[in-house]
Amino acid sequence: MQTVVVGLGNPILSDDGVGIQVAALVRQQLQSEMDIEVITVYAGGLRLMEAIAGYRRAIIIDAMKSGQQPAGSIRVFPLAAASGTRHTFCAHDGDLGTILTLARDLGLAIPQEITIIGIEALEMEIFSEELSPAVRAALPAAVVAVVSALRLSN
Amino acid sequence: MKRISIDPITRLEGHGKIDIFLDEDGDVADAYFQVPELRGFEQFCIGRQAEEMPLITNRICGVCPEAHHIAASKALDALFAANPPPAAKKVRELLYMAFFITDHTTHFYALGGPDFILGPDAPPAERNILGVIRKVGLDIGRQVIDCRARNHQVIKTIGGRPIHPVAGLPGGWSRPLTSTERDEIVAIARQNIDFARFTLQLFDKIVLGNPAHLEMITGDTYVHRTYSMGLVDADNRMNFYEGTVRVVSPEGEEFLNYHPDDYARHIAERVEPWSYLKYPYLRAVGWQGFTDGKDSGVYTASPLSRLNVADRLATPGAQGEFERFFETLGSKKINGRYQPIHLRLATHWARLVEMLYAAERMLELAEDPEIISPDLRTPPGAVTGRGIGCVEAPRGTLTHHYEADERGVLTKVNLIVGTTNNYAAMSMSIKKAAQQNITAGKIIEEGMLNRIEMAFRLYDPCLSCATHAAVGKMPLIVTVRDPHGATQRIMSRD
Repeated sequence: MQTVVVGLGNPILSDDGVGIQVAALVRQQLQSEMDIEVITVYAGGLRLMEAIAGYRRAIIIDAMKSGQQPAGSIRVFPLAAASGTRHTFCAHDGDLGTILTLARDLGLAIPQEITIIGIEALEMEIFSEELSPAVRAALPAAVVAVVSALRLSN
Repeated sequence: MKRISIDPITRLEGHGKIDIFLDEDGDVADAYFQVPELRGFEQFCIGRQAEEMPLITNRICGVCPEAHHIAASKALDALFAANPPPAAKKVRELLYMAFFITDHTTHFYALGGPDFILGPDAPPAERNILGVIRKVGLDIGRQVIDCRARNHQVIKTIGGRPIHPVAGLPGGWSRPLTSTERDEIVAIARQNIDFARFTLQLFDKIVLGNPAHLEMITGDTYVHRTYSMGLVDADNRMNFYEGTVRVVSPEGEEFLNYHPDDYARHIAERVEPWSYLKYPYLRAVGWQGFTDGKDSGVYTASPLSRLNVADRLATPGAQGEFERFFETLGSKKINGRYQPIHLRLATHWARLVEMLYAAERMLELAEDPEIISPDLRTPPGAVTGRGIGCVEAPRGTLTHHYEADERGVLTKVNLIVGTTNNYAAMSMSIKKAAQQNITAGKIIEEGMLNRIEMAFRLYDPCLSCATHAAVGKMPLIVTVRDPHGATQRIMSRD
């Protein structure tokens, strides 16, 4: 496997689960392509690093709360600019940037390229399996963003 | 009243927020730890089939899904009147030991370790796992990653899938172990024992061997003489999977020893107007505010409190470390048991003693011939209407309480998560740390931030779980306000 697509978030916390839902749609769309694996991860830091280790490339789909864009806005950016997303950090170990530096120090195979697809969320403090309407409406565009990012490098 | 806010907290999950209230003289009057409440968990669950709960609750948070899965499975045992066969209990406990080892390992090296291994006054940018590994050596870093990987494999094997187990059922467990899998787990348990011993030696060398760090642990900044809580077996030995809830007084006398079903009779919750949080306390003692001592109902549920309530530990190596822990810290034996240790920074050490216990217990369970028995399920009986499941989570006693109608449809859900037990104690530790760094309105900025962070990190609070939330990294921002609430100064740290 060359590329991993990670849906990151909590599937029962309203818009926090958007990454998980986008990943599921991407999986349907890409089912015939063998060199891409689609997975879900529920915590950042070490667990996220461990999930993407060994791949050449990673695309991480995460909810974002910048407060500067309307809900449902999609941003595609390299990991280095990822401080605004929800789950690339884990309070019980560290943020993904630090953890990846650690992993490189330890000689682990870390993806050369990590892209974040951030989807601006509205509600992340109520337990629900439903996305808020603006975020749900962004699902097709988010899938396109992931697929475009995949095509861009392949 | 002046107010200083530290919001949010680095390296801590959830929207942690600290408020420091100054009096008219500019000294610390009070300090409180707050997190916003996530809403609707009970409503989310009500109306669902109760047997979904091991899968739902392990989605509450990405950090300790295994603890919720096991507590939920146990609550269902009671709800469906299905006491699991002995092999099922052992398989559950085996998975749980693997989880404890990964969680405690990660905490020590990544979260608590920086304070000790690098010291409280190291630059904030270095006080992270990267700084720790650069100091102690890459080989140890690889061992940390290997320890996580091999125990995650065990969790996957026993639990049926990685990270979020699916094998827990009312009355038992769905996935038997093969003898090949058992052999692999035995080998992993042995590696875990070696790694736990190694980590205890590292703590000895770097922390106990450093007079400044030792003084930090034994100094009075982080001392609170509260009651201690933890699960024990019939011989009053620490147990993470099952037992009765024992509470000992600050002097070490047994105060309570009750079945987890009776928690509501013994634990009450204090609501403060300035916080969403509910502060649990011992009903029989009563709430006297954020204060310690025998007359205050404040208690702690943590690795330290678990050692304090235990008469001894059930595995030989851990028992040796248990004795060394108490004797090194100056505890005397009274009526055959050690007096409690109230030095809160010793919680980090207690966590490592627990890690060795979990590793040794894992080996015992893996070598038990019954562990590969296929007899893993007791068929559900009639719905009893009420089920309470209790385990020791890494961060404290975890209780799941469900009620359901005769069809098994949920009508009530209440969770008391490990971190919740320690809210009052955390506020007290933060207050003392603030008091030592604020005098007459003069703030020793860096020292205060570091020591406040150390105060709450020793409890390893998981706010995502306590508030049923999870949130990303944000910078540390401290706002100093004048007596009218206007901002005087803002300090921040990335």
